[in-house]
Amino acid sequence: MATATAAVPQTGVTALLKHRVVGKLLLLALAAAILIPIANARWASGTWPDALTVDLSEPLGKASDWIIDNRDSHPLFLYFFGHISNAVVLSVRTVYLVLLAAGWAGVTAAAALVAWRVAGVRLAIGTGVAFLACGLLGMWVPTMQTLALMVVAVLASVVLGMLLGLAAGLSDRTFRALRPVLDTMQVLPAFAYLLPVVLVFGIGVPAAVLATVVYAAPPMARLTALGLRGADAGVMEAVESMGTTARQRLLTARLPLARKELLLGLNQTIMMALSMAVIASVIGAGGLGDRVYQALASVDVGAALAAGIPIVLLAVVLDRVTGAAGERMGSGSSQSGRSGWKPWGYAAVVAVAVALAGRFTDRLDWPEAWLVNIAEPVNRAVDWMTDHLYSGVPYIGGTADWAGHFTTWVLDPVRDGLQWLPWWSVLLIVATLAWLIGTWRTALTAVLAMAAIGVLGVWNPSLDTLSQVLAAVAVTLVVGFAIAVAAARSERVERLLRPVLDVFQTMPQFVYLIPVVALFGVGRAPAVAAAVVYALPAVVRITTQGLRQVNPAAMESSRSLGATSWQQLRQVQLPLARPALLLAINQGVVLVLAVVIIGGLVGGGALGYDVVFGLAQGDLATGLVAGGAIVCLGLMLDRVTQPTERRTRKGA
Amino acid sequence: MTTSTPGKTTAVEPVFSVEGLWKVFGPKAERIPGDPELGALNAAELRARTGCTAAVRDVSFEVGKGEVFVVMGLSGSGKSTLVRCLTRLIEPTAGTIAIDGEDVRAMDATRLRELRRHRASMVFQHFGLLPHRSVLDNVAYGLEIQGVAKDERRKRAQEVVAKVGLEGMEQRRPGQLSGGQQQRVGLARALAVDPEVLLFDEPFSALDPLIRRDMQEEVIRLHREEGRTMVFITHDLNEALRLGDRIALMRDGRVVQLGTPEEIVGSPADDYVREFVRDVPREQVMTVRTAMRPADADEAERGPAIAPEATVSEAIEAVARSGFPVRVMDDGRCLGVVDHERLLGVVAGTYTKTAAGTESKTAAGTESKTAAGTESKTAAGTGSKEVV
Repeated sequence: MATATAAVPQTGVTALLKHRVVGKLLLLALAAAILIPIANARWASGTWPDALTVDLSEPLGKASDWIIDNRDSHPLFLYFFGHISNAVVLSVRTVYLVLLAAGWAGVTAAAALVAWRVAGVRLAIGTGVAFLACGLLGMWVPTMQTLALMVVAVLASVVLGMLLGLAAGLSDRTFRALRPVLDTMQVLPAFAYLLPVVLVFGIGVPAAVLATVVYAAPPMARLTALGLRGADAGVMEAVESMGTTARQRLLTARLPLARKELLLGLNQTIMMALSMAVIASVIGAGGLGDRVYQALASVDVGAALAAGIPIVLLAVVLDRVTGAAGERMGSGSSQSGRSGWKPWGYAAVVAVAVALAGRFTDRLDWPEAWLVNIAEPVNRAVDWMTDHLYSGVPYIGGTADWAGHFTTWVLDPVRDGLQWLPWWSVLLIVATLAWLIGTWRTALTAVLAMAAIGVLGVWNPSLDTLSQVLAAVAVTLVVGFAIAVAAARSERVERLLRPVLDVFQTMPQFVYLIPVVALFGVGRAPAVAAAVVYALPAVVRITTQGLRQVNPAAMESSRSLGATSWQQLRQVQLPLARPALLLAINQGVVLVLAVVIIGGLVGGGALGYDVVFGLAQGDLATGLVAGGAIVCLGLMLDRVTQPTERRTRKGA
Repeated sequence: MTTSTPGKTTAVEPVFSVEGLWKVFGPKAERIPGDPELGALNAAELRARTGCTAAVRDVSFEVGKGEVFVVMGLSGSGKSTLVRCLTRLIEPTAGTIAIDGEDVRAMDATRLRELRRHRASMVFQHFGLLPHRSVLDNVAYGLEIQGVAKDERRKRAQEVVAKVGLEGMEQRRPGQLSGGQQQRVGLARALAVDPEVLLFDEPFSALDPLIRRDMQEEVIRLHREEGRTMVFITHDLNEALRLGDRIALMRDGRVVQLGTPEEIVGSPADDYVREFVRDVPREQVMTVRTAMRPADADEAERGPAIAPEATVSEAIEAVARSGFPVRVMDDGRCLGVVDHERLLGVVAGTYTKTAAGTESKTAAGTESKTAAGTESKTAAGTGSKEVV
């Protein structure tokens, strides 16, 4: 009797748990049973039915023609966009000229001195070396072009992000309104931002800067808002109890308390701006990105590498210096505050002196004799690789063979399978997955986003992109989880891995295309490979952290019960790290999508190619539709893999 | 109840006077104070009926000038909400608060800021220091927001820093200090603006016992030197007894008893208070004035003398040494005597009950001698804490 009563609640709970899932599935099945026959009867076809598509290319084409025709005459352009555009061009030009006038020695000295002041001697040396390396590689002028664009874009992003963040940090309503927008902007691939700005501003520097600002401002806004909202309530109350005005509270307490988040926001904004400034070469940004882009277009890996190395150096230096500055200020060490201004003065004097010395000795431009041409040897090495490693290596085959096999055996079947599936079944699968992982709300958003892709008339290319994303995510997760499990089990592996992950996580997406083209040539497989390499560090890092943070008491108790390490991993670590694993999947999907889209530049085809094609041919309508589809695909993938907080709480 | 009687005993002019104060959290909170039926419900019933929580219910008291007024209660009793209502960090739902006769609830934003800047400073449990500023700049913060010039405020902050014993640490950050030092900074910050009243919200609860004792002594010292009015919130009965001239004991938002430490320990108003003070060493709180009995004819002439404010434990020592009952002398007049029976009664707690009986009678005015005793006790209340 007693056992019976004791057993009842337990079976009740499991029944309820099952019930939730089963209930969802039953509801879906019911909806499907009613809707699918209707849908199938009316629009029977494998791909998205024509009857349900809206052809946007004509109105979009007209709109774009109208904008091109009226760009020089319509008041909206003359008095609003025109001014913005001019201001951007002017400021970028000014910064660029200042950088050139300072000469390579002046810029290097200034950068190293700034790094010394905010981050210490070691990073100062690193910064100096990085800038000199840019010169050595013959990339001084493109580096300065990129830097000028970055300076303007970062300043604008920080101002815009701070304003938005202030608004959202101080007003609950703004925060609620802004948060989903910012969250969504963060998951969209960079490519999606390019076309709308091009539509308004045309290809050129203003469009590049504005696309960068739109891409880089959200993290600043997000972190500012979070920092302001996260201010210690006790401190704020104490400050209020002393009779401060609202303004005093903001300036003397709330903002200083959030300075760690503000600096993290600055760091993220700079990194995103660099990433975008490089990608924006597609819409006329010039500079390093453009060199990579041109070189990749002619599959000149050596030249691409010569431009890619400065990008990586710039990324690492910017990340480390801003990161170190953030840590220093965050720890609140006393030397930085009071005695601050004099050393800055000395630093400025030294920088100016070096710049003037360069000027008077007529050494403004990087000396020709100091150039190191790496393009040729690299190309020779690549040629050698092409000859020897691409194919026909005994037993293991060549890299091109692998790429070919991957395409034939994985990518093609997945793509064909997806495209063979009736359109309604794709929607049903999306709905099921999203609902099982998240709530009906995320499921609805995901289905609507997927349907929107069909309505836009790019069903097939989108499924092509989706197939690449799926393949890349699968590879990323398998490899990533394996590495993460190894790193979580052994300190040594983690120590070895950490610097590698650090560097890989700071590199702009664009750079990953260079090595994969060298290894695999062009096509869909290299795009997938680049995506895997790009997404891997984040997945490894999140998973490792998740596994490591598993409650040590639970681990200890399982060990005391005599569990083997495999049992421990399977029964304790993985279940307890579930939230982290889901987050890793979500991040993996988002990052993979971003690079798969960019893969359009190296023969990835599908949506990414449509965007590039639209830009190259001036056929903005095609590009915009593809951009819209990218947004929808990003939304769909994010929502499908987004576990809700409610659910994780229930599961725990 | 007991609330009303001792509440009016303060002879000096009141700094704070609070009348019928309510703070109710929840939807349509305003209706509850006015409704006697809802007001009578207990917390769970009220929540079920209205969805509201009454943190402070119909509280009245006055804080005299130069007094240390302690509000004590367990967590959730509403004491922290009460002290925040005094400067409207939390907006009260009903009732009146006056500081020096000026209605606090009627103040506009500017006037309220003036109150917070100059008249009432608060010390917080979790310090609430600004982590990015040095100790000196934290102490000077109150002056800074008043617009005092930099040199002037540094100078004044420096003086206060010295007063709380933090010399040599002016340039450190709060993060580099221990908990006790941080609270000294919090205390200095409150003192720097030279406020009329200091409000303490469980300032020492987060500190180690030894440090807590140091800090309590610091507060006693400061009070002795400056005589500043203090409102002190605590959940620690010993702290309340050590520091308080008068104690308001709170439970579920109501004041269940208000009186001197001796009254609280010696004549608990109800079983809750009795339970609360059960383990208090009575001989260290009770004075001989309460414990004495009228002297017999010969007793008034001989035996060691002792002041009426002396504690029972001091009298025990005297009785033990001499072997005679001790005379309680005030201005050369013998008020009564305490013998070993009386003293043991206090220690054992058996006396308390009868004392409570007599005392409630004295409140009604039957026995004039002890009634006069109670009054002068409250007036001289400042002295009682040094005894503990």
